[in-house]
Parts: sequence; C-alpha cells; structure tokens
Amino acid sequence: MQDVVVVDLGGGSVKLGSARQPDKPKVFPNASAKQKGERSSVVGEAMLGLRDVGGLSLRRPVDRGYVVAWELQRDILARSLRVLLGGVSPAACGLVLTEAYHNLPALREAAVHMALHELGFASVLLSTPAPLSLRWHAHCMPGLAANQAGCGVVVDAGFSFTHAVPIFDWRLLPGAIRRIDLGGKALTNFMKEVVSYRSINMMDEAYLLEHIKEQLCFVSGDLQADLRAARTRGSPFRCEYVLPDGLTDTWGHLRTQQEQEALAAAAAAQRAAHGPQLPKQPVLAVNNERFMVPEALFHPSDIGMDEAGLAEAVAQAVSAAHPHLHALLYSNVLITGGTARCPGFRDRLAAELRALVPDDYELGVYLADDPAVCAWRGGALLAASAQYPQLAVTRKEWMQHGAAAFAKWGL
Amino acid sequence: MDKKRTLRNRKVSERMAVVDETDRRRVIQARLAALEDDNHQGDDFAAGSDDDEFELPKGSGDEMEDGPSSGRKKKKVKVGGGMRKTRGMIAEKTRGPKVFRDYLEEAGLELLPEGVPSYLTAAVGPPRIAAPRKFCSVCGDMSAYTCTRCGSRYCSRRCHVVHTETRCLKFIA
Repeated sequence: MQDVVVVDLGGGSVKLGSARQPDKPKVFPNASAKQKGERSSVVGEAMLGLRDVGGLSLRRPVDRGYVVAWELQRDILARSLRVLLGGVSPAACGLVLTEAYHNLPALREAAVHMALHELGFASVLLSTPAPLSLRWHAHCMPGLAANQAGCGVVVDAGFSFTHAVPIFDWRLLPGAIRRIDLGGKALTNFMKEVVSYRSINMMDEAYLLEHIKEQLCFVSGDLQADLRAARTRGSPFRCEYVLPDGLTDTWGHLRTQQEQEALAAAAAAQRAAHGPQLPKQPVLAVNNERFMVPEALFHPSDIGMDEAGLAEAVAQAVSAAHPHLHALLYSNVLITGGTARCPGFRDRLAAELRALVPDDYELGVYLADDPAVCAWRGGALLAASAQYPQLAVTRKEWMQHGAAAFAKWGL
Repeated sequence: MDKKRTLRNRKVSERMAVVDETDRRRVIQARLAALEDDNHQGDDFAAGSDDDEFELPKGSGDEMEDGPSSGRKKKKVKVGGGMRKTRGMIAEKTRGPKVFRDYLEEAGLELLPEGVPSYLTAAVGPPRIAAPRKFCSVCGDMSAYTCTRCGSRYCSRRCHVVHTETRCLKFIA
C-alpha cells in the first residue's frame, strides 16, 4: 500500500505525519524566525529547538489564512518531509494537503503545483479541514445520528480566522460557510497591545506571547461576575508570569503560590537585615486580560470590529442551510482548531448558542479531544481509506487536464 | 448675525482640542489592521534596523549614475546575494511581496453572479443580536464614560487621568 503523508497546513502551525503512524503527528510553527542581530533564520520544525525566543522576527508564508509565499512554504515543508520519510522518495507517496475555505483558484493551482512538481509527490488530495475533522469525530462517536449522516457544523477556530462550516453528507455547503476575521493571531496581538500598555512592553515578543496566552487565558462563563471579582483587591485571576531569560528558562513560567510566598519571605528577610534588595525578575502581571482577550472572539464589537460573534456566526451558518437540515446540524456542533484549546470555550459557546437556537431543537456541542490535531487525524483516516486512490489527483492527470482534474473534488 | 472673519490666529487650547469622527475611525482601523501583523511594525525606521537585504542609503552616499541621468540622484535598492538586479526584483522589493489582498483583487470575486458563494459572501455581517459593550481602555473593566477629546472609554477618574497623561491624542501629534 502506498504510504500517504498527511499535512494540515495551518496559518499558525503545520501538522505533519504519515498515515501509517496516526498516533502523533509532528506539530511545528509555520514560519521562519530570525533573531535580532543574527543573519540566518530558523525555519519550521527547527524553531522548536530554539532556546531564546525573545525578539524573534517571524516570516509567515500564510497571509490572512491563505498560503501566498510558496517558496517559503515549500522550504518549511521540505525540511520536515525529508526527516519524516527517511530515505523514501516522495515520488512513491501520496499527499493529503489542507487548504482554506473558499480558496482562490490561483492559489489552489499553486498548491497542487508545489505538491506534485516541487515536492515531488505521486498524487495529491486537497481538502478543507472541516470535513476531515467531522470524519474523525464520527470515528470517535459513531452512535450520533448526525455523524452517521455525515452532517454537522464544524467550528474551525484557527490562527488567521474562525469559520462556521455546515457539512452534509461529508461535503461542505459552500453557500452557508460564515467567517469571522478574528483568529489566534489577532487575539495574541490584542493581548500584546493590552499587556504592553498595562504591564511590560511585549510588542516585539509575539512568539513568546502566544505561548503565554495559551497558559493564562480562559473563556469566562459569566463576564459581569468575573469582572466584578477582578476589580477586588484579592482578585482570583491575578497572576504573575515570570519572563524567560533565554539561558536556562526558554519560555518562562507562571509564578506559583509557593514561589510568591518564598519571594515575599526573602524580601522581608533582606529588609530586616538592611541588606540590598534582590534584583526583581521581569514579571508580567495580568488580571482581567486573562478572560477579556478570548472574549473578543465572542463579541468582536468589543475591540471595535463590526462583525458578529461566534455564536451568531454559527446561527447564521445554519440558517443559510436548507431548513430540513437545521435539526441535524444543531445536534452536532463540533469545535476544532487551536484557539478552541482555551478552557471554557465549549461551555461558553453552548450557553450562547442555546439562547439563539429555537428550543425545540436539540443542541449538541462537542469539543474534540485535541482540537488542534483533529483535522490531521481525520486526514489520516481519509488517507488510509479506499477513497484516497479514487479522489487523489495524480501527476499525469494534472499534466493532462490541469485544473479540470479538480472536478473529482466537487470544484 | 455672521461672525466677522478675523485674521487673528485662533489657537485652541490642547485641553479643548477634539479629534473628529473621521480621525477616530481611522485610528480604530489602524489598530485593527495592526492585529493582523506578524511582526511589530512600529520600529521600521528606527536606527540600527539590521535587514541586510533591503537598505535605502541616505542621499549623500549615493554614487551618481552614468549617462544622461547623472544630474539626478537615484536611490539604490540592494537585492540580496550580489546578483544582477532586474527591474522585477527591484519592483518587488519596493512594492513588497504579493499578499492575499492582491490575489483577492485579481480573482475579481465581485463580478460573480448573485448566489455564487465565495470568500466575500462568507463574511459574517455586522452583529444583529447584541449592542457593542464598552470597556475601559486603561483597565479593562466596564466603562461608563467617554473621553471628550479622543473618544476612548474609561471607567473612573483615575483611569481618565492615566489616559490623558499617556495616550490621549498622542496619535495625532
């Protein structure tokens, strides 16, 4: 059986692996990073080995969710593919590659060109992430009626934007897809701006702040109550994050209760002994930013964007589909994507949706176990199935028919 | 009765200067556009920027071009690698690499007939179920007041003082 490589090409990270080993794909940033003062840049998977993540300037091949810098994208993929495949040539393998929703024809052709000619695969299958995620969900929960019909709404909360994608019979309903132009990147930049004003200037530290955002942020269930609690002196949300020094501590760490007490005791002892005060480590203090940052995804009007929030986007997407499908779609809302890892995401979306959905519809909101890797896992299932040879476009078909070969994908 | 037009300069005190709606909107749009940046753009023109490939040398350092244009100073655009600079490469360096917006314009999606779904039709529209909530721009709490000069929100007198001392009207300076 031909080995098939599955690559989920995201704006923030690439998930890459072989369909033969569906347990743990490799996940690494989809970017090349250059440190200030250095000449060479670190590309893709090698970024995981960086010890000093401060002051990195990133170059991403993806702009607004679509791959536009194909040379850089090819370099990022080629490196990791060489390691993954070992000595095997890509010409003996197939490729499942993801593309963004409503991809432009020019960009789709560039993707296929890169896969078949530059990377040298034997065949390629392009798919959007949502049907793949639904496939994995159906594999995990086969009992659901909607899963048996291949029907559901996939909420893809990604890096560049967030989509609500209704699917029926394993196929997208293109007229019903709704997009919010806010994603993990915008939330990180929003947090960067807010934190730089209120605490320490982190405007050059987007890469580090993304990591901090994942550690600290959560979605609030009751915003007014949490804001009231945050106002008090003993706010339960107040946190201190010790910034990394780039030598021993690559990412920094959250200051725990014991550490705080130990530091307070040490400072008190120094003061009592009239000795010099210990140098203060740079510490990021956050309080209500922890839940106000993800709040922007549910209410983009908070930050001045004139777009509807996530719950409304899902409701609009379902309303745009055929009325007979509404009940099935609402019963199977699947949340995927890296941003969905934020604690409290699922409960908040379920609560807001319940208020918008007519109460004779049953509402089922599911969060994938590892939302970032969900689409990849679905891709691995597709690659291993009998559908791959039927749907994949081989190099010969591409050279003979060009873009007309995409007809088998329904495009 | 019309006010007589005087030639006297009228200087409005800084505390009374109000930024008008277009400028306020422009600032908000700039902030939203900055949310899509990969790297912080603020320090592009700071001294010591070490992008070796693209440098605009200062005017006095330029060598004169040969031929009829020797009377004018031309900016030299260095393209990395010491290769021969073609006009295409120089154009790309000055204009910047092609971004998604360029591909979108080229695709001409506005010309598609009604009912054909595309990137443009997928945009979720303005919010219809809830009014925008207003938060203090300084501390993030619910805000009840608006700065009369620039339109930012604040929640208390203390936050207003911080706002006027640090951020208010800085962007139009």
